[in-house]
Amino acid sequence: MKKVNSIFTPWRLLKYLFKKPITIPFTKIFTQKNANYLNQNSIIKLNSRLDSEPREGADNIRGFHTNDWEECIGCGTCADICPTEAIFMAERLELPNEDGKLQQRPTIDYGRCCFCALCVDTCTTDSLKMSKEYIYSNSDPDAFLFMPTDTFEGQKVKEGYVKDEVSDLLDLKRVENPHELPEERKSSFVEIVRGYSKEFARLEAARCVECGVCTSACPVHMHIPQYIKAIWEDDIDGALRQVYETNPLPGVCGRVCTHNCETSCAIAVRGEAIAIRWLKRYIIDSAPDDMYENIILEPVSDVIDAKVAIVGSGPAGLGAAYYLRVMGYKVDVYEELSLAGGVMRYGIPAYRLPDTAIDKDINFIKHIGVNIKTNTRVGRDITMDQLEQDYDAVFLGTGFMKPRGLNIPGADHNRVVGAMEFLPKVREFERGNLSLEDIDVAENVVVIGGGDVAFDVARSATRLQMLKYGKSSVKLTSLENEDSLPATFDEYVEGAEEGVEFFCGNGPQEVVVENGKILGLKLWKCLCIFDEKGGFNPEFDKECEQIIEGEQIFIAIGQAPDYDYIPESIKDKISINRGKIEASIDGQVKDVPWLFVGGDILRGPDLIGGVSDGHRSAKAIDAYLYENAKKQDISDSLKAMREAVKESSPELTIRQGGKK
Amino acid sequence: MMNSMNNVEFLNELVNSKFNVVKTEIINAEQMSFIVDSRDVHTLLTLLKTSGWKQLSYLSAIDWIKEDEFELVYIVFNWDRPVHIQVRTRIKRDRENASFETIIPIYPGAKYYEREVHEFFGIKFPGNPDFHKQLILENWDDMPPLLKDFDPRAYSDSHFEKRDYPEKHINLNNQESKQEKRQKRNLKSLLLRNGGKK
Repeated sequence: MKKVNSIFTPWRLLKYLFKKPITIPFTKIFTQKNANYLNQNSIIKLNSRLDSEPREGADNIRGFHTNDWEECIGCGTCADICPTEAIFMAERLELPNEDGKLQQRPTIDYGRCCFCALCVDTCTTDSLKMSKEYIYSNSDPDAFLFMPTDTFEGQKVKEGYVKDEVSDLLDLKRVENPHELPEERKSSFVEIVRGYSKEFARLEAARCVECGVCTSACPVHMHIPQYIKAIWEDDIDGALRQVYETNPLPGVCGRVCTHNCETSCAIAVRGEAIAIRWLKRYIIDSAPDDMYENIILEPVSDVIDAKVAIVGSGPAGLGAAYYLRVMGYKVDVYEELSLAGGVMRYGIPAYRLPDTAIDKDINFIKHIGVNIKTNTRVGRDITMDQLEQDYDAVFLGTGFMKPRGLNIPGADHNRVVGAMEFLPKVREFERGNLSLEDIDVAENVVVIGGGDVAFDVARSATRLQMLKYGKSSVKLTSLENEDSLPATFDEYVEGAEEGVEFFCGNGPQEVVVENGKILGLKLWKCLCIFDEKGGFNPEFDKECEQIIEGEQIFIAIGQAPDYDYIPESIKDKISINRGKIEASIDGQVKDVPWLFVGGDILRGPDLIGGVSDGHRSAKAIDAYLYENAKKQDISDSLKAMREAVKESSPELTIRQGGKK
Repeated sequence: MMNSMNNVEFLNELVNSKFNVVKTEIINAEQMSFIVDSRDVHTLLTLLKTSGWKQLSYLSAIDWIKEDEFELVYIVFNWDRPVHIQVRTRIKRDRENASFETIIPIYPGAKYYEREVHEFFGIKFPGNPDFHKQLILENWDDMPPLLKDFDPRAYSDSHFEKRDYPEKHINLNNQESKQEKRQKRNLKSLLLRNGGKK
């Protein structure tokens, strides 16, 4: 029963009127802030107070926070760890949108803060600190909630609590992934990175702070923190589902992706980025084939009476094919060569990406009903006009597979070889389709180029030389200096370990030929690569000339597209700018609405970027065809899957020129 | 001034000859730690006090929840032989009845330290008339807050109002919130783990 109080109860409170208040007014000077506050807000200005020397807080005192907004990346780890939920990430979209940063900064409610400093200990960037200021007074409770900046109350303040090695909560060192040793690996095409064991994968996964800064840097916006958490919880099945929502080529990407995610990783600000790529590979390597049945909720079939032809079975083509199939379309992929995969199959060497890994990804795409017609070149075995007639939409993902030549004297020699001429042969050798004698590799070779492809050539040539001659001699020359090579740093380190010699920062001038034989390559020192306007226009120092010896020259200065298969009637309607076909963001060609393009020929070479183009185009093709197509009854789960494909279709990243 | 290494040797000899020490640790020339059985604590502290370690610098506890034990740490100091000594002992972790005999007869200043330990860990100190009185936490109404099973987040939620974050801290620059979009996407990806089923 509710107790009924006497109506006189409130009068009891009157007794407090004459009691000494418990609240202790602060009249003594402790800090500068305190002094300023009292000087401004007191009616009586005491001289003693005005002249006072404020007392400084003790060393290492945990006072009010400061946060340098320039350094802070808005990862929100402080808000996550806060035991009293005093920290909230407030959105500030006026901050620049950059890779590796979120447009939010911590706001702290000092009514809840217990000054435990866990937020400082876990800060990924060291931007969040604690000052020596510990007194703050205000009659407005809302004034105790504010966003720390690098000053406190507009003034520079002294650093209080500082974290040290012991209190730092982040694990900044990457769990090592065993590599084959240089001496052993350079004589064979065995895969270099062995892959994480379960124990190591979980240890590496435990380093992730789940901030998700990486997600927007990834062209397909993979659910990175979520699948890393699934690894930690040993839920491979769940991780596989999360991976496949955004990426149908995870086994490939787990090995050779450009990993923009790792570049923008919050842990990389002070330490080594989480090995996101290798963790993804771990999921695929540890998922048995029968687990794949669970990824797609129900078997997909062509429930929509519309057909799409895909030209080229590289990352873009397979990306588009996968998502179109999941949405219920009949999809045929045309591939010129005998194996599907494009540059994955014929460009990247097997020591980085073995066939078994490609097979695993592509087999699943085939398994859901994508029809891949190999040994069929569009333009030779079937015409584009035929495709236009037979299909409702056509997606082109034919990539940059043609070698780009170099216009210098002697470059027409038959031992001057393009990268994309050489690398497919190396892969065929590795598959056993070509013998060592079928591939021409000299005892001393020179590679021109500083990108990943140049390293693929140099390191493949090393292996072939080791097999053929028992020793290797490969020189690599590039316009860029060693510290600004376009290739990934791993390539440079591993190439050096395998004995590749570097002549970086030089421009090739002439292939020196005598009596029909190549003697070497003449180089001039490269002074600068780009002109003031940012255009490619290298300048050389003639005085600084050297000739590096070699009997064979490989050119890996970029690849070019091959548009021979497109008939003139269509070519007239499309515009090609620096090798790329102009189209809308999702790849639709303006004057040929049934034609979609993606991958290298839309945005330039990038494997995962190609997958993202495929996904966007799949959504756009669906929008283009769905209205007018005849449909069978679509089940609820297929409806959900169609929605998921559309919803997870990625926006452009900042790097791809997306909205700033 | 005596050589500090001599102090450590002196202490080692002094304590280990008379007590069955579980573990002696020489942290550095100015710090030593003795882990002893709880029955030996009072006699050891008495010995140390009569040997010059007159000052009780600190008393605290550690909650070893998995081992179901509390560890009490007494830190004493000697102004003539400058070595901090930690006397450590373990007692049963019994939430309602964990108790340890007071050391007020040896170090009267322990009166306040014991009150603090009681307040933060719930350990009783029979013999100390005031151990149950509050010292630091005003009107505390929950379990002792330094116990490992105390949930500070739940406590904050039930005791402190959550403020609505005022608009002035949020600047969307007339754009749609990206944070909400991210949160929605993350939630969805969690559902993917079990195939979209709840």
